[in-house]
Amino acid sequence: MNVIEKHLAKASGLPEVKAGQDVTINVDLVIAHDVTAPMAVDQFKRIGIKEVYDPKKVVFVIDHIFPAATVNARKAHNKLYNFHKEYNIQIFNKGEGVIHQVVAEEKFATRGDIVLGADSHTCTAGAYGAIAIPVGSTELAATMATGTLDLEVPYVDLIHLDERPDQSISAKDIILSLIGKFTTDGFTDRGIIFSGEGFTQLSMAEKMTICNMCIEMGVMIAYMALTEEEIGETDNQYYLKASDFEPVIACPHSPGNVKPLRELAGLKINQVVVGSCTNGRIEDMRIAAEIVKGKKIHPDVTMIVVPASRRVLDQMEEEGLPKIFRDADAIVTNPGCGSCFGAHMGLATEEDVVISTTNRNFPGRMGHTEAQIYLASPRVAANAAVAGCLVEGGKV
Amino acid sequence: MSFSHIIRGRVWIFGENVDTDQILPGYAMAEPTENLKKFALAGSEHPNFAKEVQPDDIIIADNNFGPGSSREQAAVAIKEAGTGAIIAPSFARIFRRNSINIGMPLVKANLLAHFEHGQMAELDLEEFKITNLDTNEVFHFEPIAPNVMATLEAGGLIEKVRKLMLGA
Repeated sequence: MNVIEKHLAKASGLPEVKAGQDVTINVDLVIAHDVTAPMAVDQFKRIGIKEVYDPKKVVFVIDHIFPAATVNARKAHNKLYNFHKEYNIQIFNKGEGVIHQVVAEEKFATRGDIVLGADSHTCTAGAYGAIAIPVGSTELAATMATGTLDLEVPYVDLIHLDERPDQSISAKDIILSLIGKFTTDGFTDRGIIFSGEGFTQLSMAEKMTICNMCIEMGVMIAYMALTEEEIGETDNQYYLKASDFEPVIACPHSPGNVKPLRELAGLKINQVVVGSCTNGRIEDMRIAAEIVKGKKIHPDVTMIVVPASRRVLDQMEEEGLPKIFRDADAIVTNPGCGSCFGAHMGLATEEDVVISTTNRNFPGRMGHTEAQIYLASPRVAANAAVAGCLVEGGKV
Repeated sequence: MSFSHIIRGRVWIFGENVDTDQILPGYAMAEPTENLKKFALAGSEHPNFAKEVQPDDIIIADNNFGPGSSREQAAVAIKEAGTGAIIAPSFARIFRRNSINIGMPLVKANLLAHFEHGQMAELDLEEFKITNLDTNEVFHFEPIAPNVMATLEAGGLIEKVRKLMLGA
């Protein structure tokens, strides 16, 4: 068995599992947010039982539309708060941050734990070795009742990176390059294990950036192996070299439409978003702040900085970063999802060209269906904010 | 709610990678469930889908239908708009499970070469075949797994869990 299969075997109480096998696994943590949890609450109530399987293991985080941008959004928040009061589940409803960051900071799950999330970027938790599986609201509601999940053990592939690329290449460049190489459905229904010094030597923030976007390749479970961990047998193995990577950008309208930054140098942009569960951590903020420090962003550009969590914002304040951003004419918003998914706080029109550190640039993702959204690292985004266009090289 | 094994409707043709933002844009996400159908596929190549779709119409699409968000609202919007089934060579995992969990049949088959937009189709989930009623061509597909059929026939996962937990 490979390491993902070992964790699934343990969770299913079986001595051994193999790819393709239908198993029922015990779930250690169930998470959902203000867009997916309301429907899960409705579905749970339809089942007609009095309690969730374990109130300590059910966590709702209000992050997507907070503070409420619409009356309906507030109704959703209220529904979750009422459910928390009635069923005693855990809730974060004060603007603590994006669900995946909050769950990581609170250490709700550890290596080998089964995390079920009604959010596609639940795979972020694979960075610290959780077996994190994204589901929809109905499946989440069923697990809130039963504490278990039926699933087919996935085929698992290995992606090995020999060593860490140099500092001009970020974790975002690595994962965007992988999505470009393997395509947006390259790993549908499959698991990925990341191994080799190129991955194991990354910081936790960088590992989270990489695991976060694995869903953009259709991945079911993403898993960062530890240096000393025995990986076991995998289906396909891909051995990559650090020298294969360079700074890249995902162009409209797909995370898989990836091109080298050098081919796009000079492209004019007028909005920059730095943040999200992909790139909203303190490490990302330091990189962006260092680039705009003592400068003004380009007159054509609106720059929005969205810390992934309250703790990230606290640390930013300790280091004086919000002041640096404000002095550069950027704004720093409250922690949360920001404009990433197109509901509030910085939507774009058909005339706008946005460079964003978020995870998706589907048509209409951030407003108008013809808004041009480019995905890149904090470094590339911040350099573009200052120059008003994409810059090859730029400040590292 | 009884499940029909025969679904007959007009065909809507879609391309590949019809993602969840095209199916249900972010701005519609906080809408009450009963309103979601008004936004079905609003960001796609057929933005008038929600207005023009008729009960039991069938979507025939290219590869990888439904990538992106876990938002079940996407599957709900398509189903509640009246869609009878979706047929594509492949589906993104979360969308596929969401659809089945709410009782909307998905069929894995590549039929783009055999159907035109607006033609009539009949899907038979007992014989696992699809007929183009305009050309009378018949296509067979892999049987749907028994556990998936059981969820569809129960009317969705919640009904299945209700039976399991309450014997209801």
